[in-house]
Order: sequence, then C-alpha cells, then structure tokens
Amino acid sequence: MIRLTEVTKRYGETLAVDRISLEVPTGEVSVLIGPSGCGKTTTLRMINRLIEPTSGLIEIDGEDVMSVSPEELRRRIGYVIQSVGLFPHLTVAENIATVPRLLGWKRERIASRVRELLAVVGLEPAEYAEKYPRQLSGGQAQRVGVARALAADPPVLLMDEPFGAVDPLTRERLQAAFERIQREVRKTVVLVTHDVDEAIRLGDRIALMRTGRLEQYDAPEALLDHPASKFVHDFVGADRALKRLGRVRVADVMRTDVVMTADGTRKIDVAACSGGRFVYLVDDDGVLEGWVDCRVLAAGTPAEEAGTRVDWREAAATPDTTLKDALSQMLGLGFRDLAVVDDRGRLLGEVSLRAIEQTMSGSDAHVSNLAEGEVLGAPADTGEGEVE
Amino acid sequence: MRNEGHPIPAEATSADRSHGARVDRVAGFGAAVALSGCVALPFVEFRENRIASGVGEAVTAAGWLGWLACALLAAALVAAFLPHAIRARALPAVAAVSTAVVVAALGSAATTLQEGQPAFARVSIGPGAWVAIVGIAVVWFAAWRASADVRTRWLAVALAVAGVGAAALWGGVPELSLAKEYAAQSRRFWPLVGQHLTLAGAGIGFGALIGIPLGVVASRSRIARQVGIGVVAIIQTIPSMAMLGLLIAPLAALGVRAIGTTPAIIALTLYALLPIVRNTFVGLAGVDPAALDAGRGMGMGRARLFLGVEVPLALPLVLEGIRAAAVLVIGIAAVTAFIGAGGLGVLVFQGWGQQADDLTLLGAVPMVVLAVAADALMRGLGRVVVSPGIREEAAA
Amino acid sequence: MSATGRRYASAAGALALVVAFAWLVAQQPLWERALSAIFPGSANPVYPGVTLADLVVRHLAIVGFSSGLTMLVGIPLGVWVTRPSGADFREVVAAAVDFGQTFPPIAVLALMVPILGFGLGPAIVALFLYGLFPVVSNTVAGIEGVPRTLVDAARGMGMGRARILLTLEVPLAARVIMAGVRTSVVINIGTATVAAAVGAGGLGDPIIRGINVQNFAYVLQGATAAALLAVVADSLLAVTERLLTPRGLEA
Repeated sequence: MIRLTEVTKRYGETLAVDRISLEVPTGEVSVLIGPSGCGKTTTLRMINRLIEPTSGLIEIDGEDVMSVSPEELRRRIGYVIQSVGLFPHLTVAENIATVPRLLGWKRERIASRVRELLAVVGLEPAEYAEKYPRQLSGGQAQRVGVARALAADPPVLLMDEPFGAVDPLTRERLQAAFERIQREVRKTVVLVTHDVDEAIRLGDRIALMRTGRLEQYDAPEALLDHPASKFVHDFVGADRALKRLGRVRVADVMRTDVVMTADGTRKIDVAACSGGRFVYLVDDDGVLEGWVDCRVLAAGTPAEEAGTRVDWREAAATPDTTLKDALSQMLGLGFRDLAVVDDRGRLLGEVSLRAIEQTMSGSDAHVSNLAEGEVLGAPADTGEGEVE
Repeated sequence: MRNEGHPIPAEATSADRSHGARVDRVAGFGAAVALSGCVALPFVEFRENRIASGVGEAVTAAGWLGWLACALLAAALVAAFLPHAIRARALPAVAAVSTAVVVAALGSAATTLQEGQPAFARVSIGPGAWVAIVGIAVVWFAAWRASADVRTRWLAVALAVAGVGAAALWGGVPELSLAKEYAAQSRRFWPLVGQHLTLAGAGIGFGALIGIPLGVVASRSRIARQVGIGVVAIIQTIPSMAMLGLLIAPLAALGVRAIGTTPAIIALTLYALLPIVRNTFVGLAGVDPAALDAGRGMGMGRARLFLGVEVPLALPLVLEGIRAAAVLVIGIAAVTAFIGAGGLGVLVFQGWGQQADDLTLLGAVPMVVLAVAADALMRGLGRVVVSPGIREEAAA
Repeated sequence: MSATGRRYASAAGALALVVAFAWLVAQQPLWERALSAIFPGSANPVYPGVTLADLVVRHLAIVGFSSGLTMLVGIPLGVWVTRPSGADFREVVAAAVDFGQTFPPIAVLALMVPILGFGLGPAIVALFLYGLFPVVSNTVAGIEGVPRTLVDAARGMGMGRARILLTLEVPLAARVIMAGVRTSVVINIGTATVAAAVGAGGLGDPIIRGINVQNFAYVLQGATAAALLAVVADSLLAVTERLLTPRGLEA
C-alpha cells in the first residue's frame, strides 16, 4: 500500500503539488491524470524520491520513504517512463538485468529471471534477449521497459505515461498486455497519463489533479457518474456513457452459445440456424473463417451466397477488448454483431450491439449504486463479470 | 534500423548509378589524369647531386616499362567505357598492374639515368609520376566500388602489393633519390620517428588526462563550459609557431628552458585539448536523458550511473576526439622541431635549409604515414571498444 | 536583447576587434618601447627592415589570396558533387577530402616544395590545397543537411533545380559552408606562419629569424601578431557565420 499524506512540493513561489493525500491499496492500479502542469508527474516522482517533497509524508507499506536511502528505495520500486530509457549500449537481457545486478543476484538467477520476464511481456526470449534497443520497435521497447521494471519483483510499480509514445494500435496492445500481466503479478501501481480512456480502462481508481491539487479520487465509474466539480465533469468529457463502456470487457457480455460448423456451407440450411442469427464457419482448429446470415438464408438464398468470408484479425473482437472499442469496430464495419475470438483466431462467441446497449442503460443504475456505497480509500470491487 | 529519418545516403544512389551507367566517369577521370601526367609531364627528375636543381626527364627514360605504364593507363581509360560486367573485373586488374608497373618504371628510369654517373647523382620522382599516382588512386577507388565481390578486391590488392614488392626488391626502386636519402640518413631516421611519436604521444596523453576531466566538468557546469571551451577554442586558433614563440617568455619566467622538449609537449598538450574537451562534453551532453532518468529511477547511484551509463554512451565521441587530437598533434609535432624538440620536422626544416628536397620528403612522407596510421588505429579501436548497440555502422 | 540586436552587437564587437588590431600593429613606436622594456638587455629588440604592419599585410595577402581561391574552387566543387551531374564523384571527393584532412599541414607544404620550388608559389598552392578540405567537406555536408522534405516541397511548387539551389539549399547551407571557410582560413593563417621557412615571408619571418639568432624579442613580435591575427580573423568569421544564418533558424 502506498499512502500520501499532505504531500506538498514547492518550487520557489509556485506550488507544484499542494497537500495531496491519497492511498493506493496493495495490488491495485491508481491512475494520476490531469492537464499538463497539474503536478501528476511530480507526485509520481516524489514516491521514488526522484523529486524530494517539500513537506508531507509518503509511506510504502507503512514505511516512510525518507527513512531509506533513495538508491535502496528505488531498487524496490519498478519504474517505467514514456521514453522508455533503455540503455542503448546494453542488450535487452542486460537492460532487464540492471536492478538484479545492483542487488547482487547470482548470474544464473538473473539469466532465468530475464527469460521468464521476456516471456511474461510477450517477447520470445531466444529471439530478443541479445538484441540491442535500437533493433526494437517502439512497442517492443516499452515491453522491455516493463520487464526491466519488474525484474527484481518489486511490490510497487510507478509508470509515467508508459504507453504515450506509441501509435494507437500498439497502445491498445500494450494496454491489453499490461492488464494481463497485472492480473498475474498484482503489483501496487501508480500510473500517470493524460488519456482519459486509458485511465478509465486501466485504473481501479483515478486521481484527477488540477494545478497541484487533487480534484477527485474515485473509482472510474464514480468519476463518470458523480463528478465532484464542474472541472471533473468537463475533463471527463460529454461522452460519459461511451467512456463507461471502456470499463467493460467483451468477455462480460458475450454469448458463447453460438452455432458453428467446420463443414463449410454445404450442410447449412435454415434448420441449422436453430434460432441463432448466424452460423459461424470455422476451420478444423476452430479458427474463424466467416459466417452465414440466417435471415438471408430464410429468404431462400443458397448458403454459398448468404455466406461472408472474413479475416479474423480484422472482423472480430477478443474477450479483452473493451466494449468501447468493440462498438467502434462494429460501427466501422457496419455490423450489429461481432464475432469474438482468442488471440489465435479461434471462435469463442459473439457480442451484439443490443448487449452493448443494455450495458449502457443498465450500468447507470448499477454504477450509481456502487458509487453511493463507496467511501474514499475503500477498495472498490470492480472485477469483471459484475456488469450484467 | 532506427535512423530512417536521414536522407537517402548519397553513396547508395551513386553506387547504383555506377552500376547502371554506361561509363564509369570516376575511373575515366582518374585514368585520364594519370595518363596525361604520365605523357605530358616530366616523369622523373635528374640531379647531379642531392641539392642541385633537377632536369625533367620524360617517361621514355624508363624504357619499355615506361611505355607499358602509359599503355596500361590508356587501358584503364578504355576499361572505364566497357560494360559494367566487364569493368567490374577489368578495373581492379588494371589498377593493380599499373600501380606495380609505375613503381617499376620509376626504378627503371632511376637505374638507367644514373648509369655511368657519379655516385651522388640523384633521380627523384617527377611531377608526372606524382600526378599519375594520384590518378591511379582515383582508379583504385572506382575499381573498389565497381567490383562487387570481396575476392576480386583483395586479389587486386595482393597483386599490387606483390608487384610493388618485387619492384622494390629486384627493380631499381632503391636507386630512387628518396631511397638513397633514407639509406644515407637511416642512422638518425628511426630515432627521429621515435622522438616524433614520443612528442605526439605525450601531447595526446596529457591532453586526454586534462581534457577528459575538463569535458566532464564542462558537462556539469554551465560556467565551466562557457569559459573552459571558450579558452580552449581560442588556444586552438593560435598558429602553432606563434604558440611556441609565446610560450618562451612565461616559461623563462618559470625557469624552464624555452627551447626543446618541454615547451613542445606543453604546446602539443594545449592543442590536443580542444577536440578532446569538446567531444567529451558533447558525448556526455548527448546521453539520452531518459536513460539517465530510468537509471536513477532504478536506484543507480551517481558513480554507477556515470561509469555504467554515461561513460559507455559518450565513449564513441571521446575516442573520436582523441583521434582528431592525434592527427592534429602528429602534424604540429613537426613544427616543434624548429625550437629544437626533434622529431621528423627536423628532416623537413633541414631539407628546407639545405634546399635538399629529398631530405624534406624523407621527413614529410613518414609524417603523413604516421598521421594516417594513427587515424586508422583510433578508428579501429573505436570498432573494438564501443558497444555494438551504439556503433554507427552496425545495423539490425 | 532581441535577436536582431544581438546580431548587430556581435558584428560591431568583431569590427571593433579588427579596428583595434589594425591600430595596434600600426603603432611601430609603441612596439619599440614595449619590447625595449621587456627585453632591456637586447641591443635591437625590434625586427629590422620591415614594419610589423607590413608583415601583417603580407601574411594577410598570402592567406587571403589562397583562401579566396579555395572558396572559388571548393564551394562549387562541393555543390557540384551533390548535383546529379557530379553525384558519381561524390564518394571519391569525400574520401579524398577525409584523407587529405589527416595530412599534417606542414607535410602538404613540404610536398609542394620539391615540385614548385621555394618562395611564395608553393606556399600559396599548399595553402589553397589544404584549405580545400574543410571547405569542400562542409559544403557537401551543408547542402546534404538541407531537409529532403523542403527540397521536395519546393519541387512540388514548381521551382527549378537552379532556383532551389540558389534560394533554398545555399541559404540553408550557408552557415555550415561558412564554418568550413572559417576552419580553412584559421588553419591557413597558421600554416602561412610555417611557410616563412620556405621563403614566403609574413609573420613567420621574425619568429624563425628570432629563434635562429636567439633574439626572443623578434619571436615575441611575430608570435603576438600572428596569434592576434588568427583570433581576430576567427571571431570575424564567426560573426559572418552567424550573419549568414537565416533568421528563422537562429537559436
């Protein structure tokens, strides 16, 4: 747990951070967000003492950070920054080994930890370990950056706009990867961003800052539904209903009782639809290849002509996709239903526009109930599956 | 590869051009220069003794080897117009053979012209031969580019080295004035080379010893940067001869002899400073702040950050600074001969004093060799000690 | 101070330095008094036969003539190899220039003497040749440093090659080219001092003579004037470099 009490940073006359108090429960992600110059990065950097606070108390698991030397403190805190900051003269493996080496780990232990971490962040160890940073793409570099921060298995992770410098598609993948990793490792994370959607997607709670002060610290749903001030309301934006969809995953609303066949279109007739809207076509491994529209079939069109062939990489969502992204994908493709596949393209189910609509109207009541019963600092139960 | 922002490297385009083009203009230019030097200018100069003024002798003095040399250069000119598939082999071959034949022709001319002459007669390389050598160098360059495969290239080099070696061992090369001068001076030549290296080495060594820390300080403090680099830059503009003169009075006041090795080393150290200080500073200033922030954030202390991140990242530029300083100081060390510090400059100044061109050349040519060798050595060192992750030429 | 103000201030400063230097070398009596005071034991502390001003003028004439020639040849050569017509030669010129820059200046002088004899001629040729290296390499670097996107944009607007060169590439490369000229001139002022040893005259004369006859007063005159000349020329050229920088690119 990280606890900030009345933390203040003053540069001459200006107050960069003004009496901030907040608590990040163990194993949760807190996002610091706000317009540039609001003090979010300063706040983050005071936690590992890259910036020394002017006054106030910062504790990690009850221990005052000022009571240990900055170097020792930082070796216990993972640190990820927007520009990644990989050491260009060292290989990927050597970069990841930085903190374990500082801590004096044995060579074999470091080597096996490096391999393990590369696998965790989704990079093939044999291929990437001996590469140099300049041989990596931006997304790969940031994966290595995250692996390096996790190297010594620190309980706390500080991330300063970690996905800010990459293109939207890569950012989406990195966010998904981060969510997956965080589910496994359950670190106490403080993440700085200026992207509201990212905050809503990744944060268990969000701290919205403005000119050094904390405007509101709440669960994303509460921030969306009960903005504490006009500033919060405006910052979050008008499309709050849409933003809320960023909190819900496809996995939460998808149907898994879909009809599928690996036999191609030959045997498909109206009876095969068994009441469903589509019959999905898959190959022998279950990888999505297309579908047949049952209504078109019912109008008397032969199955071969009622079918649509697709590439699953373009015309399907994954269970980790947020409803916001799934909706945007549907609108883009002009579909009312979207197939859901795993990361190898195997069909898992489908998500319908109707289900998303229901989530939007239904979650209002749900989220406001949740927000009512919530007290600042209490752990919010925002696990998957509760939106239905 | 990350550096995709650069404009298309000109080498790539011009290399493609030479492949596709009907004529290799570079080879043609080099061959034309070499041929005109061979035909139109005195190939060698004959002198009755080492300080007499020379009489130009045409390439015919070299007999059939002279004719062969000219014929080969004409062949090189023709080769430049051949289709690429042929000239890729023809150019390296003709470059190699003409190199060896020109050297052999020089030796032959020297032998022929000195026949029946007194022992102190001299035959030196004439302007025509110098021009031919420069032209052949250009042909070599074009041949190197035209031949795609490594084997052809090194075969050509081996052929040229063998030919020149044979001409030096069995031909008349020892009869050339420069070789004769070397034979006459061989007793003091090598000690002077040693002195030259000592002077330059001391200058570079002290320059690095003072310059690197100064560069580090400059990267840490704005005032040190402005004052330090400013002063060192002014020192650099001062002519070396003037510097040696200006050191006399202050050194005399300190009781140091103003003539000899000490002032020379002081001056050389001062000149070595600018490239070393500036490159150290630029190298350290160029270290990615994100890498430093990340290092600090992971709990690296100041010393570890400096030695583990800043130094290795600044190293290529520091080495480049030392390389530039080495080339510079080897040149200036020659000037220090005039205040009695020794080195190869002694031969140059004495050559000028006695109007003995051979002696001048005996000082100047090895000096060039030393500078070029130091340059190559430092570049090679850079390739060995710099991490492949930040080496310029290495790519993904 | 505004950017324009800084430009004029630095230009005025450099001009003041030039005027001060010219005045100083013209004060023959002042030098006589000063040198007698520094070298009280010396019977004739002043370099005889020729005034310091004359030596400076001769030195400047040698450097000015050879550097002028260098610019006249070097800049067009550098530009040419960046044009399609000269692109074939870009590599060989770059390699030659790189190689040439590792030569010690005194060696270039020494290599010229056997071919051209003693006196002014070999000195000017050596200075001209050695001066070419930085000018050519900076011209090439300057022109190639002009962002491709700008050239493409200009071409897209229908500008011809010549116009692009004159209104875009040369102005944007001017500062880098001028830096090469500055390096070249400063090196040449130094090499010209050494060239006194092959009979070219100039400020090297009193230095060499002084060392030979052990009259350090001579040495001091030549050395002071040569050092000041180099520093003044360097700062004047530095200001020119700055004035040639397009205003939009000023830091």
